[in-house]
Amino acid sequence: MPGTPTAKKSRHIESSGQLCIYCGACVGVCPLNCIYLDETRITFDEKICTRCEICVKACPVGAIEIG
Amino acid sequence: MVKELATDVLVVGAGPAGSMTAKWAAKNGARVLMIEKRQEIGSPVRCGEGMSKDWLKEVGITPGRWINVEVEGARIFSPSEKILEINEKSAGNEVGYVVERDGFDKALAIDAANAGAEVLLKTAATQVLKEGGRIVGVRAKQFGEPFEIRAAVTIGADGFESQVGRWAGLPTNLALRDMDSCLQYRMTNVDCDVRYCDFYLGKVAPGGYVWVFPKEKGLANVGIGVQLSKIQGMAEARKYLDDWIAKHPAYAKGRTIDVVGGGVSISKPVTQAAADGIMLVGDAARMIDPLTGGGIANGCIAGKICGEVAAEAVHLRTPTKEFFQKYEKGWRARLEEKLYRNWLAKEKLCSLSDETFDKIVDALQGVHLEKLTVHNILKAVHAKYPDVTREFEEFL
Ligand SMILES: Cc1cc2nc3c(=O)[nH]c(=O)nc-3n(C[C@H](O)[C@H](O)[C@H](O)COP(=O)(O)OP(=O)(O)OC[C@H]3O[C@@H](n4cnc5c(N)ncnc54)[C@H](O)[C@@H]3O)c2cc1C
Repeated sequence: MPGTPTAKKSRHIESSGQLCIYCGACVGVCPLNCIYLDETRITFDEKICTRCEICVKACPVGAIEIG
Repeated sequence: MVKELATDVLVVGAGPAGSMTAKWAAKNGARVLMIEKRQEIGSPVRCGEGMSKDWLKEVGITPGRWINVEVEGARIFSPSEKILEINEKSAGNEVGYVVERDGFDKALAIDAANAGAEVLLKTAATQVLKEGGRIVGVRAKQFGEPFEIRAAVTIGADGFESQVGRWAGLPTNLALRDMDSCLQYRMTNVDCDVRYCDFYLGKVAPGGYVWVFPKEKGLANVGIGVQLSKIQGMAEARKYLDDWIAKHPAYAKGRTIDVVGGGVSISKPVTQAAADGIMLVGDAARMIDPLTGGGIANGCIAGKICGEVAAEAVHLRTPTKEFFQKYEKGWRARLEEKLYRNWLAKEKLCSLSDETFDKIVDALQGVHLEKLTVHNILKAVHAKYPDVTREFEEFL
């Protein structure tokens, strides 16, 4: 289920609603195609995400954090 | 039971490429359904809104109320801000209009609808449907409710996000150096020159550029693209843009009234844009010009070809990868060589130091070039700085 971190990849990834401008840059750069953008909601499939952080850099406003 | 729809041609994404494809497929007799996940076509805008104009006729677009200004040319600013002016004569129409992108996208969608295409908003594709290796439509959600759409031909026109093609297994993933992270402010109360689209090169925007595209006197889109391979940390596109604005009084005094972001591909042409039951078009097929970052024109040009081939495939009942070679050949004949050439040029430009940029633009000061080709530029540079042209031997 998206949103359930596995033990190995326990670091959580999220997009800050306060910073995000919903531009979709993260979606397009994700090499695993595991980010989804509704008009005003970004979701990450945490089971697929390897925390490669490409989306973190691509985000022009710094909204994505891995913690 | 899950609701199900059926159509001949399903277009995912109502950007310029999608609407063009839908229009030309419908005009050629196919039943067309175009789905768009947003609630409003063209909005929010993700674009600098600059475009050339010499291609509009070819794809059947009539200039409309979506034009803000017609510019005379472009100005390239070297790192020390020496200016190279490119006008229509020397560039072959590289710059033409600054437009209202939401109005432009809506005009194209209206054209598609008037040609007979159905349009569904608030409808997002969430996965492709596969049968025996063939794409036969998509799973979608409309206002959150899941359903299936079956189609003889599915078109991925979903823009930079480019998920439809990747669900279908088409190779459109990008290398870091082939993507830009972009941010733009629409600013009022600035001193922009409505006669020019301006581009600032060098360290101010590593691997990309800062642009100022005027929308009217005092109002401009001020944006930046930074190559992803040159980004180290978070929010760098914003930092570079804010730094640049702070150093330019003509813009620092402005007020931002809109923020736009997005990703831009600056890659070589993809190796494959079609498979059984599916074709990709526009940003989804990475058709953006890798040198300028402009993708509206190429998306529309390829969209017309894509729509025509889709309708023909429906007509002949041949929505196969083999048949879609007609699309591959068509769009490649029209766009591929330039995409490849400009990708090479981009690779070179990204590797230049600020000093080299300055020398190139300096060498062109006061030199009259009949036509602004790479060859002519390098000849002029060679006359003044022979050492610089050694870096460009492969282009001569
Ligand atoms: C900041 C920025 C500045 C730019 N400046 C310029 C410029 O000045 N000039 C220029 O020519 N180009 C510019 N570009 C590039 C240009 O915006 C694109 O090339 C152009 O929009 C491509 O058109 P398209 O139809 O392929 O995709 P888009 O216009 O991106 O349209 C794709 C559509 O698909 C929809 N969609 C996505 N996923 C789904 C789904 N799963 N289901 C349903 N719908 C979906 C999206 O909501 C969108 O409406 C810029 C890009 C950016 C990011």
